[in-house]
Amino acid sequence: MATIAREQAIVHEQESWELPAEKPFIVRAMKPWLRNPAGFIGLIIAVGFIVLGIIGPWIAPYDPRELDAQARFEGISWAHPMGTTALGQDMFSRILYGARLSLIFGIVVMIFGFVPGTALGIASGYFGRWIDHAIQRSGEAWAAFPQLIILLTIIAAVGPGLKSVAVVIAIGGLFGGSRLLRAVSLVEKHKDYVLAARAVGATEWDIVRRYIVPNVMPYVLVGISSVFAVAIIAEATLSFLGLGAQPGTPGWGIDLSEGSNEGITYPMLVIWPGLAISIVVLGFNLLGDTLRDILDPRLRGSMGDKH
Amino acid sequence: MLRYALRRLIWLPIILFGVSAVVFVMLRVLPGQSPAEIIAGQGATPEQIEALEEQLGLNEPIWDQYRVWVTDLLRGDFGEEFYSQKSIKDEFIRRFPPSFQIVMMSLVIGTVLGIGFGVISAIFRNRSPDYVVRFGAVAFSSIPEFFMLTLLIVVPAYLWQYSQPVGGYVPFYEDPWTNMRLMLPPAIILGIAGSAGLMRLTRTTMLEVLQSDYVRTAKAKGLRQQTVLFSHALRNAGTPIVTAVGTAFIAVFGGSIIVEQVLSIQGLGQWFFFASLQRDLTVVQFLVVYSAFVVVVMNLIVDLSYGYIDPRVRYS
Repeated sequence: MATIAREQAIVHEQESWELPAEKPFIVRAMKPWLRNPAGFIGLIIAVGFIVLGIIGPWIAPYDPRELDAQARFEGISWAHPMGTTALGQDMFSRILYGARLSLIFGIVVMIFGFVPGTALGIASGYFGRWIDHAIQRSGEAWAAFPQLIILLTIIAAVGPGLKSVAVVIAIGGLFGGSRLLRAVSLVEKHKDYVLAARAVGATEWDIVRRYIVPNVMPYVLVGISSVFAVAIIAEATLSFLGLGAQPGTPGWGIDLSEGSNEGITYPMLVIWPGLAISIVVLGFNLLGDTLRDILDPRLRGSMGDKH
Repeated sequence: MLRYALRRLIWLPIILFGVSAVVFVMLRVLPGQSPAEIIAGQGATPEQIEALEEQLGLNEPIWDQYRVWVTDLLRGDFGEEFYSQKSIKDEFIRRFPPSFQIVMMSLVIGTVLGIGFGVISAIFRNRSPDYVVRFGAVAFSSIPEFFMLTLLIVVPAYLWQYSQPVGGYVPFYEDPWTNMRLMLPPAIILGIAGSAGLMRLTRTTMLEVLQSDYVRTAKAKGLRQQTVLFSHALRNAGTPIVTAVGTAFIAVFGGSIIVEQVLSIQGLGQWFFFASLQRDLTVVQFLVVYSAFVVVVMNLIVDLSYGYIDPRVRYS
């Protein structure tokens, strides 16, 4: 009680203080980003990817499936900013539509894998006991196997396709999300504000909903960044191997695999889709690393921080 | 330690039993085309499919199928491929060497690069080598393996008319040059891809260890920098690093499937890939149990090496 009384006294005292003029919100929000140029680049790439994934089909100059026998293997030109494919399709339009496929896949994995994983992780971190054991042990067993082996086994059972891929990557996201959120909820759980809430008679459910959840929310962003990175690579890899999207679908993995047939003569057919995947994944990785650094100085050690 | 190892080994058959049962049931219960339909091809009559299912033993009750499969496995009879009727054992012996070589070479390359660059990054903390290494780690973990492997085929051929050999595995002891031309470049790519996590972990652990009192003491009493670095610091950072080598192994193990597929190397990964597309259930379930065996043994090796690196570790 004594500490609370003292804090109240301090708060009371502060009211009479002259507060220094606060910088505008946008300046304060930008500050950590400007100190982390790598993270800032990541943020721009991630936002750019999401925007292009949404508006891509409207700004694409051509129908990505439209064949043009007169315009096969064209180089870079004003009419075709990234040239054309072996079938005379406009590469730039295909890349734009491919962004949408990757974005949709990422969102599906996030909604069906990461979001429930987040809930499980908070439950397992805060309540512990058997639920914690059950989730963590299954997560370990899952992570012990290469995901590609699990995926090939699922494909042997139900057949190839984006759906099978999505199920496996979503389960991976579920365990990944639960591990991350478990770790941060465990930390939050022992903080004073939880103790204070319990002291004033908040129920466990109230504490989770009104105190733990808002405090671990920033880490959800870290998780979402890495879920997108993993999902985009997974979809592209499996489509490249012929296990994901149908041939002909505008998608980065499919385009790369189709381009590789002619790649020795026309390397750009491989390089454009490959660059698209690499840049977007790099963006999400840089963004996730930077967010983690800003949120938790103890976890520092990745890109762009000054110790 | 011996008792600990033995106790862990008792778990091995239990885990393998569990994995085999789960996979066996999953492959037969989940909805999907029957393997007999795929083998019979399009336009086969239901009677033909029925006859094939009968022949493959897929009509028996699932428990009987499982019992037969497991007793055969224990007797050393791994069964036959659905399609070619080839013996799975012979096929395994033929396909094992290239896969083993690619996984081991990538693991060694990845471990050396990961630990090496991690130590460099820690020594030059917040100076340019550190930034270069850290950016490299993020960049290389962002480039998908299949893209790097495609570039390996495409770029030298386009620029220098050098073609990366594809397929045609020759054992190292028969023709080292041909073998290395095929295996070394993809092993480097796979190794780099697997080393990023290891590098980060080595860096963080080394940073912690380098600030500790015993490292300061070692420096103060005038030991050479290499001695301080490798026998004092790195050894104490060893336990987490070995764990990360285990994780890198899982990555490389999965990545070898992509390598074999892109470079058409006739290894286990390529076999797994085609078997799962063709729903060759006997091959898939055999390879899953084999992978589980490899993963469990690898984990055991990692756990046992803790005691070797850090004699304070007590097994119980």
